[in-house]
Amino acid sequence: MIRRFRPAPAWIGVGLLIVFAACVAASAVEPTSHDVRPGYGVDDVRWLSDYLPALAGTPGDTPIYVLRGDDSGGTLLLLGGTHANEIAGVMAATLVVERAVVTRGTVFVIPHANNSAARRNNGAYNATTPQWFELTTGGGEVRAFHYGDRRTQPEDQEPDPEVFVHGPSGLEFSGSEARNLNRNHPGDADGTLTQQISYALFALVEQEGVDVLVDMHESSLTSRLANTLVSHPRAIDIASFAILDLEMEGLALKQEVSSEEFHGLSHREFGDHTDAFAFLIESPNPGQEASIENPDVVNDPRAPLSNRVNLQLRTIQAILANHALLEGTATSIEFAFPFELSDLLGANLGAFLR
Amino acid sequence: MKKRNTILTIGLLLLIAFGLTAVAEEGDVQTEPVVFAAPALITSIGQSAGAAQARVVAIKAGVEAMYVQRATLEDLEGKGTLIVVLGASSKGLGAAGVDIDGEVAWATELFDKARELGIGIIAMHIEGGSRRGPSSDLVITTFAPLADFLIVKGAMPDVEWTADEAANGNEDGLFTTLAAENEIPIAYIDTTLAAVDVLIELFDIQPEG
Repeated sequence: MIRRFRPAPAWIGVGLLIVFAACVAASAVEPTSHDVRPGYGVDDVRWLSDYLPALAGTPGDTPIYVLRGDDSGGTLLLLGGTHANEIAGVMAATLVVERAVVTRGTVFVIPHANNSAARRNNGAYNATTPQWFELTTGGGEVRAFHYGDRRTQPEDQEPDPEVFVHGPSGLEFSGSEARNLNRNHPGDADGTLTQQISYALFALVEQEGVDVLVDMHESSLTSRLANTLVSHPRAIDIASFAILDLEMEGLALKQEVSSEEFHGLSHREFGDHTDAFAFLIESPNPGQEASIENPDVVNDPRAPLSNRVNLQLRTIQAILANHALLEGTATSIEFAFPFELSDLLGANLGAFLR
Repeated sequence: MKKRNTILTIGLLLLIAFGLTAVAEEGDVQTEPVVFAAPALITSIGQSAGAAQARVVAIKAGVEAMYVQRATLEDLEGKGTLIVVLGASSKGLGAAGVDIDGEVAWATELFDKARELGIGIIAMHIEGGSRRGPSSDLVITTFAPLADFLIVKGAMPDVEWTADEAANGNEDGLFTTLAAENEIPIAYIDTTLAAVDVLIELFDIQPEG
């Protein structure tokens, strides 16, 4: 007997759900916008899709702010929001875009490196973290910023595999790491959205001749990674000099070097596959501490956001100073703010924004 | 308090310069000043990043030195001093493709060779409390007693530590105990960069010009 498929009410329901999901997905293709107000230092605004057109109109596209100095020098790429819940990097990048002036070289700033992850917080590590956080400017305006997620949104990418295999190395991770930008480097132009984002970042580094790359991250308060500067082995001298300088300024950082075996991370892969000196900074974020209910990701006295932004920016300045010392002025990069970075300590971060 | 620690360190070095040791008991005074010869070989035992910082310290002190993260016995040829930075890093050990036992076995050979060649050994611990723990302590308790001089970023006995808590590598007094038990001179520093002054004294670096 031949059984013929006949639509039943249940199948119709499933069909409607599929159509609904498709509509939701279609409505999410635009890249998330953010409250970033470029200052006088910004010469140019580009998109990541300029370096990989396939990203245009996808949730992975993201603005790139370009600041150029009057004096020729090297090129710096600052990445915030590789993990969009690690907001000190996002806000440090935002502060550079809004207030910094480059005097030597060129600085490319991407405040939301994984813009899909920035759209929504799925509560990785702590379900009580917020969707938004607010900062009040000096003028009394309340500005709202996304508190995003560690990974690309699930609906923006094909379903997670059971095991994510980092292509070039064969290293295996849990399936959800297929959406972790910092496990997908050096990316793939024809791969998943996360791999395409990575690929475009590598294209930027190559095309713009980036000399120094800093990927800004955060860890939990108690993580061994908190307050750490990680560098590629080629950049170990710059990192060592920077750490000693910072220590003399009262900022104690631990030093780590990229593992030879752990692939997919920015400092390892940019260092291996490009000429850039690659660094990763980790500041401590109370929002990544699973044991803290409803963490105050801005004002927790153990690690206020302004202090974490201070740590990120002072470390970057120390890296640049020692990059110039060791590599010479031809590729040096200098930028400054109209305030002392130490003014950020214990202060209202919003007062330093536009 | 930073100044206080630095002053204490300098005071200690003056004692050394006059031929005394930090741990010498009465009637057991070392009469020869502690002076080490360049060039130095700087390496890590435990494969942490501290050895790279020690290289920077040596550069700033003006000590001629070669830095090899995991030195070979051949690297010791022609050297006047072996500077080892103690501290285990699982990431670093993984990168070197060894476990902690393999590291201890390799470092034992290195120390034996240094002794055979008559090379002085300085052991440093400059990464603070974050570079303490079972593996690091194995490295410390195995090799610190075999050194000719110890430099530790950490609190002196009976002196309050007011720098970053995490920077105190001697909170439990381990280095003080090892130095006392083995009669090894020790310098306490409160910042890694303070080791520059210690090396200047130990290598008798004269100011240029």
